[in-house]
Amino acid sequence: MRDCPAQTAPDGESSETKRVLMIFREGKDLPGNVMLEQAVRAEMQKLSTNQIEFFVENLDARHFSDEGHYLLFQDYLGRKYAEKNPDLLMVFPSRDFTLAEELPAAVFPGLPVVFVMANEMEVPHDLGKHGITGIIQRFDLRGTLGLILRLQPETRRVVVIGGTSEMDRTTLERIEEVARSMDGVEFDFWTNRPMAELQSAVGSLPEGTVILLSTVQRDVTGQPFFMSQLAQMLTPSANVPMYVLSRAALGSGALGGVVVDPDDLGARAGQLALRLLEGAPAGGLPVEVTTKGTPMVDWRALRRWYISESRVPADCVVRYRPRSLWAEHSSLILFSLAVFLAQAVTIVALLAQRAHRRRAEAEILTQRTELAHVARVSTMGQLSSALAHELNQPLGAILRNAEAAELLLEREQPDLEEIRAILVDIRQDDQRAGSVIDRMRSLLKRHSLESNPLDLGDLLEETVTLARSDALARRVNLMLQVPAELPVVHGDRVHLQQVLLNLILNGMDAMSDCGAAERLLTVRARPTKDGSMEVAVSDCGTGIPPDKMKLLFEPFFTTKPDGMGMGLAISRTIIEAHNGKIQAENNAGRGATFKFTLPAKSK
Amino acid sequence: MNPPPSPGTVFIVDDDVSFLRSASRLLRAAGYPVQAFESAKGFLELLSPEMSGCVVTDLQMPGMNGLTLQEALRKTANPLPVIFLSGQGDIPTAVRAMRHGAEDFLTKLSPKEKLLDAVGRALTRDAQERKQRERLRDLRERFAALTRRELEVLGHVVRGRLNKQIAADLGISMRTVKLHRTSLTRKLKVQSVAELTRLVEEVGLFRADKAE
Repeated sequence: MRDCPAQTAPDGESSETKRVLMIFREGKDLPGNVMLEQAVRAEMQKLSTNQIEFFVENLDARHFSDEGHYLLFQDYLGRKYAEKNPDLLMVFPSRDFTLAEELPAAVFPGLPVVFVMANEMEVPHDLGKHGITGIIQRFDLRGTLGLILRLQPETRRVVVIGGTSEMDRTTLERIEEVARSMDGVEFDFWTNRPMAELQSAVGSLPEGTVILLSTVQRDVTGQPFFMSQLAQMLTPSANVPMYVLSRAALGSGALGGVVVDPDDLGARAGQLALRLLEGAPAGGLPVEVTTKGTPMVDWRALRRWYISESRVPADCVVRYRPRSLWAEHSSLILFSLAVFLAQAVTIVALLAQRAHRRRAEAEILTQRTELAHVARVSTMGQLSSALAHELNQPLGAILRNAEAAELLLEREQPDLEEIRAILVDIRQDDQRAGSVIDRMRSLLKRHSLESNPLDLGDLLEETVTLARSDALARRVNLMLQVPAELPVVHGDRVHLQQVLLNLILNGMDAMSDCGAAERLLTVRARPTKDGSMEVAVSDCGTGIPPDKMKLLFEPFFTTKPDGMGMGLAISRTIIEAHNGKIQAENNAGRGATFKFTLPAKSK
Repeated sequence: MNPPPSPGTVFIVDDDVSFLRSASRLLRAAGYPVQAFESAKGFLELLSPEMSGCVVTDLQMPGMNGLTLQEALRKTANPLPVIFLSGQGDIPTAVRAMRHGAEDFLTKLSPKEKLLDAVGRALTRDAQERKQRERLRDLRERFAALTRRELEVLGHVVRGRLNKQIAADLGISMRTVKLHRTSLTRKLKVQSVAELTRLVEEVGLFRADKAE
């Protein structure tokens, strides 16, 4: 792409200062010239190993075109740069080659010259001889007309606004040439209208028309113009889009074009100038002529003319798009985003942590429920012989009744009344057996803690009944003392039954070494002062050693040789889940009492 | 079809009223006279020596349980044979019950054949034991009719001593010995010395003396 300087000074080599004198013919403050100058400086400073000193002079031929001014300017330059001889002369953008040819001869003999121009002028063949080289950028007319049809395919007519100078006419000739090769689009050349007329004429153009602004150095009245100025004057009143040939004319209302880009042109001029500075003979470097412009549109004009951005070619530069919030405040946005992200990450982490904790808690609860279930199954194991007895009673009765019925039926005159009575009994015993199984099953069933209203008296009675046959087998006198009216409590029937059974079986175990007469286990229930219910299970056994009292409810603490040590720990878990308390104390006389409380009206 | 082998009554003791009723029905249907009791105590209170038959009892009962009933019954004048019908029996309990002379140890779910067999055997046994006890009582009565001197003579006779030796030992005449012997064989209704010896053995008369 861009040529690198022919030689690059290695590090450490002493660099010398080069002087570049830039001379603007038309006016160095014109928008296009400002861009051009900056592009040249930037490119040269970027690529050069030498210090480069820039000097800028302005002939201002637009306003002072007489010969006397030009001579004064020459004289001025000669005096001014007598001490500081420039190494290179750059002439910007020239309408012709006069300056480039005359200045070195008159002021800076033998000084290499680079000219930079954007027009359609013919290049003389003998420039090299005079130590002159340069860059001419042609207007990309075909590209621009192509862009017109791309953006506005409905275009049928192009109004070309041109000027009257020699350069203007050359440009118009080139446009005419291109226009001839285009079918279906009519071209209209407006070169002889004064500004005021133009301004009104562009406001009433028919549909399907566009304006192409050619160069207007001088209008029909001889007034000098520059392109951005014209665009600015005409576009507000125009009723159709205006296309331009130079980037300098863009930005003041025109829609776009495949334009001469001063950045690009300046950069190439800078590279060329560097090659000369580094010793290349100006005569050996041919004049660069390029036609390729840069497709460019003004975003605001696109909006004004309702032209969809989808029609804009991919390689087209869209300028003046309002800077997005992002472009404007990217660092702030990035910072806010980072803060937000950090916050979000923290929040997510906290949420994850919470979810994790919840899951862990749920797991613990599940494990407790599991453990409670296991403990219940083992409790059931302890009760199983008693339960078998419970179950064998009705089953035995059913069997005996059935056998009796068989015998009765073998008689010649069976006693049907008796047989009917037998069947009634069988059905009753069957129900009895079923209810025993139901009770067992409800205890064996895996189940999570539920809270239901419970009749505590019923619960105690049922549990004591369940334990009664075991008590009989162990010759324990099991007493239940419950007041007639007990308030309803809320809780889980099966789990509370498990706690009770556990306490009752523990109590019976504690009395296994006592004499038969002493084996008394009492289950009591009573309301307490603070409105909760207290259930107490008292035995007459050996009591609890004081040093073991604190450990009783700890998991895996047991005094029984084959105990698991989970019964009381689970009981405590269950009672605490009911918002109750469980505790143990030794009786004044013999044995110990285990008590638990349940809030009478929980929730 | 099952004619009562003996006129004995089956006394059923069980705290489970439903089972009590069903078992009573079965035994009644099998042709046995049945009397049902809800507790061991109630049965023992009603028990009298002339009540023949057998006891069918539950093992686990509140208050007095089956084993206790068996012990108590053995100490009465009417130690009826006992059949245990337990809801759930364990081996040590069964062994203990059998060692104390239980006729059988059945579960409540044993088939009726086993129960009826056991009851049949128990009643036969009761009849035999009852007859035995009758005979013993009769023998004891007979022995009780003997005078002190006749008992002394009897003691020597069963030890195989001759009349002459007995007379010398007791310091009485041979004739008196013969008179005593005639009197005691008449009272004891025996014909021979061999029979006499067997009766004495049966009653355990001098065994008891030795033990004292």
